[in-house]
Amino acid sequence: MRSFGYTIADSPAEAVRIAASTPGSAFVAGGTELLNLMRDGAQAHDHLIDVNHLDLGGIAAGPGRLRLGASARMRQVAEHATVRREFPVLSEALLASASPQIRNMASIGGNLLQRTRCGYFRDAGSPCDKRTPGSGCPAIAGHNRGHAILGGGDRCIATHPSDLAVALTALDATVHLLGPEGARAVPIAEFYLLPGATPERETAMRPGELITWVDVPRTTLAGRSRYLKLRDRATFEFAVVSVAAALRMRGRVVRDVRLAFGGVGTRPWRDAGVEAALRGRPLTRQAIAEAGRLLVRDAAPREGNRFKVELVQRALASILDDLGGLR
Amino acid sequence: MSGLVGQDVARVDGRAKVTGAARYAADQEVPGALHGFLVMSTIARGEVLEIDARAALAHPGVVAVYTHRDMPRLRVPDFPYNRPFIPMQDARVHHSGQPVAYVVAQTLEQAQEAANLVRVRYRAEDPVARMADVLDQAFLPEKFRDRNNEDGRGDAAAALEQAEVRIDRTYASPMQHHNPIEPHTTTAVWEEDGTLTLYESAQGVVFTRGMVTQAFAGTDRPPANVRVVSPYLGGGFGAKGPTYPHTLLTAAAARLAGRPVKLVLSRAQMYTSNGHRAEYRHHLRLGATRQGRLTAIDATSTAQVTRLDGRIYNSSDSTLHLYSCPNVHVRQLGVRLDLPTSSYMRSPETTSHFGLETALDELSHELGIDPVELRIRNHTEVVQATEANGRTERPYGGKHLLECYRAAAEAFGWARRDPRPGRTRDGDEYVGWGMATETHTYGHIPSEARLTIGLDGRATLRTATQEIGTGTYTVLGQVAADELGLPIGHVTTLLGDTAYPAASISAGSSTVPSVVGPVSEAAKNARAAVIALAVADPRSPLHGVPAGEVVAEGGRLFARGDRDRTDTYRDVVARHGSPVEVTGRRPNTAGHTFGAVFLEVRIQPRLGRLRVTRVVTAHDLGRVLNRRTARGQVIGGVTWGIGFALMEHTMVDPGTARVVNPNLSTYLVPVCADTPSVEALFVDRPISDSQALGARGFGETPGTGVPAAIGNAIFHATGRRLREVPFTQDKLL
Ligand SMILES: Cc1cc2nc3c(=O)[nH]c(=O)nc-3n(C[C@H](O)[C@H](O)[C@H](O)COP(=O)(O)OP(=O)(O)OC[C@H]3O[C@@H](n4cnc5c(N)ncnc54)[C@H](O)[C@@H]3O)c2cc1C
Ligand code: SF4
Repeated sequence: MRSFGYTIADSPAEAVRIAASTPGSAFVAGGTELLNLMRDGAQAHDHLIDVNHLDLGGIAAGPGRLRLGASARMRQVAEHATVRREFPVLSEALLASASPQIRNMASIGGNLLQRTRCGYFRDAGSPCDKRTPGSGCPAIAGHNRGHAILGGGDRCIATHPSDLAVALTALDATVHLLGPEGARAVPIAEFYLLPGATPERETAMRPGELITWVDVPRTTLAGRSRYLKLRDRATFEFAVVSVAAALRMRGRVVRDVRLAFGGVGTRPWRDAGVEAALRGRPLTRQAIAEAGRLLVRDAAPREGNRFKVELVQRALASILDDLGGLR
Repeated sequence: MSGLVGQDVARVDGRAKVTGAARYAADQEVPGALHGFLVMSTIARGEVLEIDARAALAHPGVVAVYTHRDMPRLRVPDFPYNRPFIPMQDARVHHSGQPVAYVVAQTLEQAQEAANLVRVRYRAEDPVARMADVLDQAFLPEKFRDRNNEDGRGDAAAALEQAEVRIDRTYASPMQHHNPIEPHTTTAVWEEDGTLTLYESAQGVVFTRGMVTQAFAGTDRPPANVRVVSPYLGGGFGAKGPTYPHTLLTAAAARLAGRPVKLVLSRAQMYTSNGHRAEYRHHLRLGATRQGRLTAIDATSTAQVTRLDGRIYNSSDSTLHLYSCPNVHVRQLGVRLDLPTSSYMRSPETTSHFGLETALDELSHELGIDPVELRIRNHTEVVQATEANGRTERPYGGKHLLECYRAAAEAFGWARRDPRPGRTRDGDEYVGWGMATETHTYGHIPSEARLTIGLDGRATLRTATQEIGTGTYTVLGQVAADELGLPIGHVTTLLGDTAYPAASISAGSSTVPSVVGPVSEAAKNARAAVIALAVADPRSPLHGVPAGEVVAEGGRLFARGDRDRTDTYRDVVARHGSPVEVTGRRPNTAGHTFGAVFLEVRIQPRLGRLRVTRVVTAHDLGRVLNRRTARGQVIGGVTWGIGFALMEHTMVDPGTARVVNPNLSTYLVPVCADTPSVEALFVDRPISDSQALGARGFGETPGTGVPAAIGNAIFHATGRRLREVPFTQDKLL
C-alpha cells in the first residue's frame, strides 16, 4: 500500500471541496473496506478525507420517512428501536452482515459503496474488467459460484455484496448526495448501475460526491418485512442468495409486496414484474412459484452458479410463506 | 509421583499468551533489522525476461532489490525442504506466486510498496491448473520417504471378482490451505562469529537448521553454525513443518545486505509459499460377504503433484491397516500441475480416510447391517501393514477401538436410530445420524532432553521441540514435575531453540511419543543424581540412607518409612555448590491411534441448510497425559473436520493457475456458530509398547472420521449420498 495524505473534514461542504480539488482522493469512514482494497492493490489513493466527524451520524424517524445519516454505524442502525419495529428488514439485513466488530466500525455510506467480493477483482495479479478495464473477465469461464445470474454481460458478472443495499432496494429508499455542483437525491433503483460495457462504473455518483444520508419511506408495508440470507457458513459471510421482502395482505390476497434479491444480480435486484405478478392475487403456492419463474426468466447462469436459479426461487417461496403465514 | 500426569492441568503458558507476554518469532526485536518483502510471479509457468527495479529502488527507505542474478547459488536441500527447486536461482517460473524478487527496506511499509513498484516482464507458457483436465496422464510416482505408492496384500482383483457384494465409487476433495493465524516469519541474523541465527515460525527447529545448513553448504561463506529459535507458534498444522524457500531467501538477503532482515509473509502469499492439502480423487472398490466381512479393498487415488516432483503426502494408511481384510491393493497416482508443491496438512490421512469410511457406510446400507456392527465385524487386533522389511502381523500394544465404538454409541444414543434414510424428522428438518472410525498414524523422532536443578532447587528443562499451541510446555512440565516430585511451578520448560538438545518436530503427532520419554528419563536421572548427592553428603539428614529408599515429593526428599529424615532439592544442590545437570533419552516406536465419532446433522430441505448439531467422540490414546489439552485436540480436530466437510476449498483459476480466494474472508473456515459442543470420551489405559508413559501420539487422530461421518449423516437424513466435499448448500437442494 502506498503512502497517502490524510485530512479530517469538518463539514460536508469542506469534504466535497477537498475532494474536488484533490485528484486521486477518496472519502474514508470506518475504513473496513477501503483499507482492505488499498492493501490488496485493488484501489489506490493518494489522499484520504476522513468523513467520520461530519454531522451525518444521526438516525431520525420523521413523518413519512426514516433518515439514516451516512456516518451512522451499522450497529447503531441495526439496534435502533424504530428501525427494529418499523423496518425489520433493515435491522435483520444489518445483523446478518459481517461481524460485531466490523458493524461497530462500518458506516452506512461505506456499506453502500463497498465493492464486489469477486476474488479476481481483489487480486491485483489477475485480469479483471472492473478493476482494469479491458483486461477481460476471468470469472465467466473460471470460478463464479459467488457471481450473478441476472444483469451480467460478457464484461462482468460480479454481484454487489451489500445486504443493506438489498433491503433498501426493497423499501424504495433514496440516496442523498452532496457534490461540487450541489445536492441531489437519487432513488436507489437508479443508484446502482448494470455493468454493461463499463463495469468499472458501479453507481450513479459523480466524482467528488459525498453520500449525506439515506431516506426510507415510512410505510405500513415496511413494518411487515423480513430478510432471509443463505450462505456457506453460519455467520460472518456474504450471501450466496438473499431476499428482502415486505408483504401486506388483505385476507388471503396480496395487497402489496416489495421484493429485492442479493447474491443473484449484478446489482441489488428488483423486478417490478415479479411483484406485479403477486399483487392483487391470493398468495398461493402456485402464485409464488409463478413469481419465482418470472424472476429467473432471463437468468444466464454459469457452471459454478447454476444452482442459484433454483435456490433463489426456493428462498423467495420460503420468505413469502413465512410472511404470508402459509406455515 | 504427585500425580499431575493424567489430570486436567491448565496451560502453564496460558497467561503469557493471553496477555501478550509470550514472544512469537516475529515479536523478536533485533536491533538494526531491515524489512523484507517478496515480489511474487504473476504467471504460473515460463521465464522471467527482465526485472525493472528502478522505481522500487527510488522509493524512500529501500536498501536493495535482489533478483535471481544477485542471489548466492544455494543447494536444494533434502526433505523436509519441501520444494523441488529454490526460487530466484534462475529465471524459471514454476508456479504463480513464486518469489521472483526480494525487496529490502527500512520499514515494512516501504518494502511492501516498493515490491508493488517492481516491474517484471515474463515469457509465459500456458499452465495446467485443473486435475480434471489431465486425469488421463495420471502416473505412479516413485516412492517418497521410503514409502511405495503401490502396496497391499493378497489378490484384491480376484477377490473383488468373486465378492458377493461390491461397492465401486469415487470420492473427491479439493485443494485446502492450513491458514494458521500466525503468518510465516523469518528474521535472519548473521552474527559476528559466523553463526546464522533465524527467529523462525518453525514446527521443527532442528529440521530447519539442517535444511538451512545444507542450502548454504556450497556457498563461498557458509555459516559456521545455524541456530533456529521458535519459542511459540500461532498454529502450524503442517504449514510450518517443512522448510520453505522464504526462509532460505531471507537468510541470503541478510547476507547480501550485511544486516539482519525480517520477513513476514502476507496472508495471500501463504497460499503459494508453504504447501497445501493436495486436490484428491479416490476410486474405491470394496468386496464383501453378505455377512459383512470385507474380502477385498482396491483403492486408486489421484493427487496433484508438480512437474518437478511426485510427492504424495496423503497416505492410505487406514485403507491398508484399519480393518481386517485379506486382499488389499492400494495405488497412489499423481498428476502434474503447474501449482506449488502440496504438503502435509493437519491429519493428512483424513484425505483418503474420508473415502474409506464413506464407502463402508455405503456397504452397510447395501447389506442392511448397522454401520457400527459392520466395523466390529471387520475389526482387527493385529497390525497388518506392509513394512520396509516385508509384511508383518504384530499385535498392537493395546487397541481398544471396540470400547470406543461402545462408549461413543451409548453416549450418543445410537441404539435409538431408525436405520432407514429420510425417516427421521423434527418439524421441517430432516435429522441424520452418522458415524465413522477415526484413526491416524503417529511418528517417532529420536529426541533428547536436558534437565538442570539450580541452586534454588528449581528445575529447568530444555529440549528442542516446539509449542505449536497444543500444550507442549504444560505436558512436558507435568511429566518432569511428577518424576522429580516438584510442584509444576518449580519447573521451567524451555523449547524451540536448537541450542537445546535435539528433539522432535511438532508434526505427525510425534511430539508426545518422541519427547515425553526423554523428559521423563532426564527427570528421573536428575532426581537420582540429587538423591545420590544427598545420601553421600554427611551434612544431609539423608546421609547413609540407601538411594533406593529415598522418595521425592513436593520439592522434598524423604527416607521411605521415616518421613522425619528429610532434605530439599534446594539444600542438597546448594550444599553441592553447583547445579545438577543431566540428559535423558528414551527411544520409542511409531504407531496408530484409534477412536470413533458419532454425530447428528439437521437439514432444512427446502433451502438445503445444514447444521451439525451434536458430536460425541471416544478415543483410545493410551494413557491420557492431560485431559484438558487432549480435549482441546478433539475440539480442534472436530472443527477441522467440519471445515473439511462443509466449506474449505482453495479455488485456482483454470486459465492463470492463480489462487482466487487467498484470504480468510473468501477461504471459509468454520466459525463458532458452525461448531456444536463436543462430548469427548477417552479410553484412558496405558499401552504396553509406548515409552512415553503409556501414551500414544494423538494430535491428528480426532477429526479424521468427521467428514465421512457428516456425509454419512446426510445420507441418513435425506437418502442422498454426497461423495465430493465441500458439501455446500447447492448439493443438498
Ligand atoms: C470480513 C468482512 C465481512 C463482511 N461481511 C459483510 C456482509 O456479510 N454483508 C455486508 O453487507 N457487508 C459485509 N462486509 C462489508 C462491510 O459492511 C463494509 O466493509 C462496511 O460497511 C464499509 O463501511 P466503512 O464505513 O468501513 O467504509 P470505508 O471502508 O470507510 O469506505 C468504503 C467506501 O465507501 C466510500 N465512502 C465511505 N463513506 C462515504 C460517504 N459518506 N460518501 C461517499 N463515499 C463514502 C469510501 O470512499 C470507500 O470507497 C464485510 C466486510 C468484511 C471486512
Ligand atoms: S466478474 Fe467483474 S469483478 Fe469479477 S473478474 Fe469479471 S470483471 Fe472483474
